Amino acid sequence: MDAARDRCVTGIENLDNILNGGIPRGNTVLVTGSCGTGKTTMSMEFLVHGALMGEPSLFLSVTEASDKLLKNVIPYDFFEDSLIKKGKLIFIDLPVVYELFGMTKGELDFEDIDLLVKAIADIVRDLGIKRLVIDSITSVCYQLRTEEKIRQFILKVGKSLSEYGCTSILVSEISPSSERYSLYGVEEAIADGIILMGNLQRRGDLLRTLQVVKMRGTNHSRAKYVLDLTPSGVLLVPLLKGGSI
Amino acid sequence: MNAPEIAKKLEDIPPGSAITIDMKIDSYFDFIRATLDLFATRKDLDCIYVTSTIPSESILNALSVLEVDIDRVYFVDCISHSMMGKTSQSDHVIFVESATMLENIMLKVQYLMKKSKRENKVVIIDSVNTLAIHNNTKILSEFFHILLNNLRSKDAYIFILNMEGQGSEDLDSMMNLVADDKFRIPAGQEENGDGNGGGEEASE
Ligand SMILES: Nc1ncnc2c1ncn2[C@@H]1O[C@H](COP(=O)(O)OP(=O)(O)O)[C@@H](O)[C@H]1O
Ligand SMILES: [Mg+2]
Repeated sequence: MDAARDRCVTGIENLDNILNGGIPRGNTVLVTGSCGTGKTTMSMEFLVHGALMGEPSLFLSVTEASDKLLKNVIPYDFFEDSLIKKGKLIFIDLPVVYELFGMTKGELDFEDIDLLVKAIADIVRDLGIKRLVIDSITSVCYQLRTEEKIRQFILKVGKSLSEYGCTSILVSEISPSSERYSLYGVEEAIADGIILMGNLQRRGDLLRTLQVVKMRGTNHSRAKYVLDLTPSGVLLVPLLKGGSI
Repeated sequence: MNAPEIAKKLEDIPPGSAITIDMKIDSYFDFIRATLDLFATRKDLDCIYVTSTIPSESILNALSVLEVDIDRVYFVDCISHSMMGKTSQSDHVIFVESATMLENIMLKVQYLMKKSKRENKVVIIDSVNTLAIHNNTKILSEFFHILLNNLRSKDAYIFILNMEGQGSEDLDSMMNLVADDKFRIPAGQEENGDGNGGGEEASE
């Protein structure tokens, strides 16, 4: 493990090994992939482990309602109800925040961005949030529309979270055939890390895969791993090459 | 060689070793019975049984006929799906769609290893020959290399079944490379083909 920078241990054992100890604390990581590749599930597990380690963890949901998301974490054999009751694991629906600030126009302007960033930063500061997930940044981007605004938003959010020592995951939705890691390309350029999740077709079998494409502040494996979503959380093994290309 | 004799032979194996078991199909259930008796019942371990040979249900049925305690046996069943057979829900059986999904076999073993509360486990891989039907030797040796190293580091007892007459030179030299040792179970004089071998069920 590099001692250079304090790590945010994801608690997903195999992933921490791939990352040489965890995500460098304060990093903003883009977790990207097409629909159904396990982005939400893995991000949620990242938060549950954080909460279990005593780090207040926040899930900012844009597309799915919190109560539905909560149902997904309950089956985990390491989940504890008390995490919710003690406020260690918090769910907030981002549309509620929009509404609170009257951002109901559908498109956010630069002023809205500052408000939104400040709102998120305030929550993070006031609640001492150490782990944050925004699911999905793509939905937020839809409301930002322009590359310039997306850049603004991600840079500002990333900066203020980092100042509070909060490690964040931005979930990015891309089409299976996408050659980029994010819809607008801006997200991936700004993020400190990119974790790519996907499906791999091999001789008629479909495998779930994960690959750490980039992660500032740590040495990491760049190999492709096969992933399984289990009641004990995400498990990973190296993709076998079998002497093929 | 009967079950107690086999058990005796396996008794001194240290944890964290991977042993190839060379045997004839006749010894199949004697071996399973001996292993379960020794490791599950007497040593109080959980057993992870990876089958690509016979559906888990058939093994379970046979074991219950033999009155072997199956409480501690967990299956990774890589054959029922592809036989379009029954894949009924059970805490003790996890299905892998096809024996070509070697990574998923590793993942399911890893999951069962993680879930088991017992300190030590015994892992049976049944068999190298049926896995070789679905996978080439290169990918298979990579699979064994990673899986066995992982299991060794967790101090599991690992047995890889190798059916005599179903192998090849390639397969044998691969097993010599990845496993720590090899045991041969001589065909028994006592059991004069009582028809209890797994071969019949597998070809159903
Ligand atoms: N513990 C689990 N065991 C098995 N399957 C799961 C588990 N958790 C989630 N899934 C399945 O994995 C798929 C991916 O879920 P999700 O994380 O929502 O993907 P994404 O956010 O990338 O669209 C879903 O079909 C879901 O049903
Ligand atoms: Mg999702």
